[in-house]
Amino acid sequence: MAKAKKGYFGQFGGMFAPETLMPALEEVLSAYGRFAADAHWQSEYQRLLETYCGRPTALYEAVNLAQRLTGGRARIFLKREDLNHTGAHKITNALGQALLARFMGKERLIAETGAGQHGVATATAAALLGMSCDIYMGTVDMERQKPNVFRMGLLGARVVPVESGGKTLKDAVNEAMRDWTSSVRETHYAFGSALGPHPFPTIVREFQSVIGTECRAQILKAAGRLPDEVVACVGGGSNAIGIFSAFIKDKGVRLTGVEAGGMGLRGNRHAVRLTPSPNSKPGILHGAYSYVLQDRDGQIADTHSVSAGLDYSGVGPEHAHLADTGRAVYTFATDKEAVGAFKMLCETEGIIPALESSHAAAYVIRQAPKIKDGSVIVINLSGRGDKDIESVAKFLGTNI
Amino acid sequence: MTNRYDEAFAKVKKRKEAAFIPFAVAGDPGPDVFIDIVRAYVKGGADILEIGYPFSDPVADGPVNQRAAMRAIKAGLNHRLFFELIGEIRTFTDIPIGLLTYANSVGHLGCDTFCKKAAKAGIDSILVADMPPEEAQELGAAMRKYGIGRVFIASEFTPEERMREICRCVDSFVYVVSRPGITGADTTLSASVKTTLSRLKKVTDKPLAVGFGISTPEHVSDVRKAGAQGVIVGSALVREIEKSVLKGANPSSILRKKVNSLKAATAVSWKS
Repeated sequence: MAKAKKGYFGQFGGMFAPETLMPALEEVLSAYGRFAADAHWQSEYQRLLETYCGRPTALYEAVNLAQRLTGGRARIFLKREDLNHTGAHKITNALGQALLARFMGKERLIAETGAGQHGVATATAAALLGMSCDIYMGTVDMERQKPNVFRMGLLGARVVPVESGGKTLKDAVNEAMRDWTSSVRETHYAFGSALGPHPFPTIVREFQSVIGTECRAQILKAAGRLPDEVVACVGGGSNAIGIFSAFIKDKGVRLTGVEAGGMGLRGNRHAVRLTPSPNSKPGILHGAYSYVLQDRDGQIADTHSVSAGLDYSGVGPEHAHLADTGRAVYTFATDKEAVGAFKMLCETEGIIPALESSHAAAYVIRQAPKIKDGSVIVINLSGRGDKDIESVAKFLGTNI
Repeated sequence: MTNRYDEAFAKVKKRKEAAFIPFAVAGDPGPDVFIDIVRAYVKGGADILEIGYPFSDPVADGPVNQRAAMRAIKAGLNHRLFFELIGEIRTFTDIPIGLLTYANSVGHLGCDTFCKKAAKAGIDSILVADMPPEEAQELGAAMRKYGIGRVFIASEFTPEERMREICRCVDSFVYVVSRPGITGADTTLSASVKTTLSRLKKVTDKPLAVGFGISTPEHVSDVRKAGAQGVIVGSALVREIEKSVLKGANPSSILRKKVNSLKAATAVSWKS
């Protein structure tokens, strides 16, 4: 076995998987290398990104928002991932992984989902490519994302309710991994975020890096220079790593990840892994060494966020590395701040953002008084918020 | 090295049996009943014990063992209590104790501290369910330092080259997964066990113990006939614990009988 440690970002990452999965992970790793170098499959992927997903997505200058927040002192741009087919950046990875599965000769796709966006994206890709599809989803998430559950059914996927643990994203990943250990021969597990054992954090980043590549070219054209700051929300971290990846070498660009602050750091009702908090420390969850919310005995802690997509105890290992090296800075926004940002984007720009993406906007709103004149800021608007209408209404105490 | 595992496997070999290895989650359903359960296993004829350290997110385990882990955590099982309980088991038996755990439970304490405490309490081997040999170098070094044996898993999916490497890394025994998947679940035993065992025998002479999905004396004798030197039964026993808990009863006497009948099935004659 290789002495050189494979799949590490600094000290984070690795392949902490049950032995029964190791041959499958090796297979995915080697197949991905061939897939990425195969002109035919890559052009098919590009064709689908353009004609099916609607890429490139627009970079939109939110003039009204910038006016409201800074009186026009700064320019704020939104990378409109919400305009993708199925309403979020998730489809980019789901399509890529579905094609990879086909490339490997697999007939079946499985996936976990929190908010339902990755589940819908995977079900969509499976329908398009004629594959069978099972989506694991915690029953708490099924309750708060009913339209997405129904949507997955319409697309021909089976939604498998997960009743274990906190019944959210973490538990859905457990069940999907269990399924995969007994079905690896015919099944590909399409991880929805840049987490899990190597090679998934790398594969998902590569598929999502198109966000950053597009955005970098677009902002150079629109602003005539690189941005001062790129802001993205971080659950598992796929939209953030996707947009950050193109700017990592641009040392002057501040990269900011915004986690779910839930009800605040006191009381542990949050999903803040990368900002120092009493129950976050490096550990191993779902195949990777990264920051993990856990109790004093190393049991994984349950999390809370108004946004199902950020409600996860672990975080992609590359973010842990970017946090430790200081290349990216991580902060959080509370439920209340996120809902405030959600409303502000609706009112000022006529855009209903996903609650996940609202966390990124909430940070910019909070920072507004400190933003320097002439700054250029990009917010990754990772998804649209139609799925969150019920959650927001409930949060605001309104019945719909 | 001469250790408890060598002695246990030598003893069953002499008797032309396989080692019977029952599993329980430490502290399930509570510290006292757990000790009663382990006593019942020993009295029922266990040759080796396999004890799980409960983890909140056991991806290699099925629902039965996950529920057991949740019961144990709820009943207060933590690192301190765990090592105390192992120490208590050591007051009444000298058979090998293997630990089945997850990487985060070890890493949280630190590999060196964990192994030091484990060795002191009386643990003979450690298998980390989500730590393949590639990731086990730091832990492996700590285990060697404190004289704890390494155990890794092999399955029918394991390619030959990898099988060799796994067997080379193993000290106590190779944990052979009877079928791909997680613990528990199946009622029929995969025919591929036999193939997997004979593939392994070509690359190693270390003891092979088969686990996952074994629940009846018939399964045990089938696995024995297929050439296993050890048979691990987990979920089938844990399910009995769960049933008793739901009835508010102590599972000890049922488990003792069950272990007794499963152990008896390891005594079938076998030609290699």
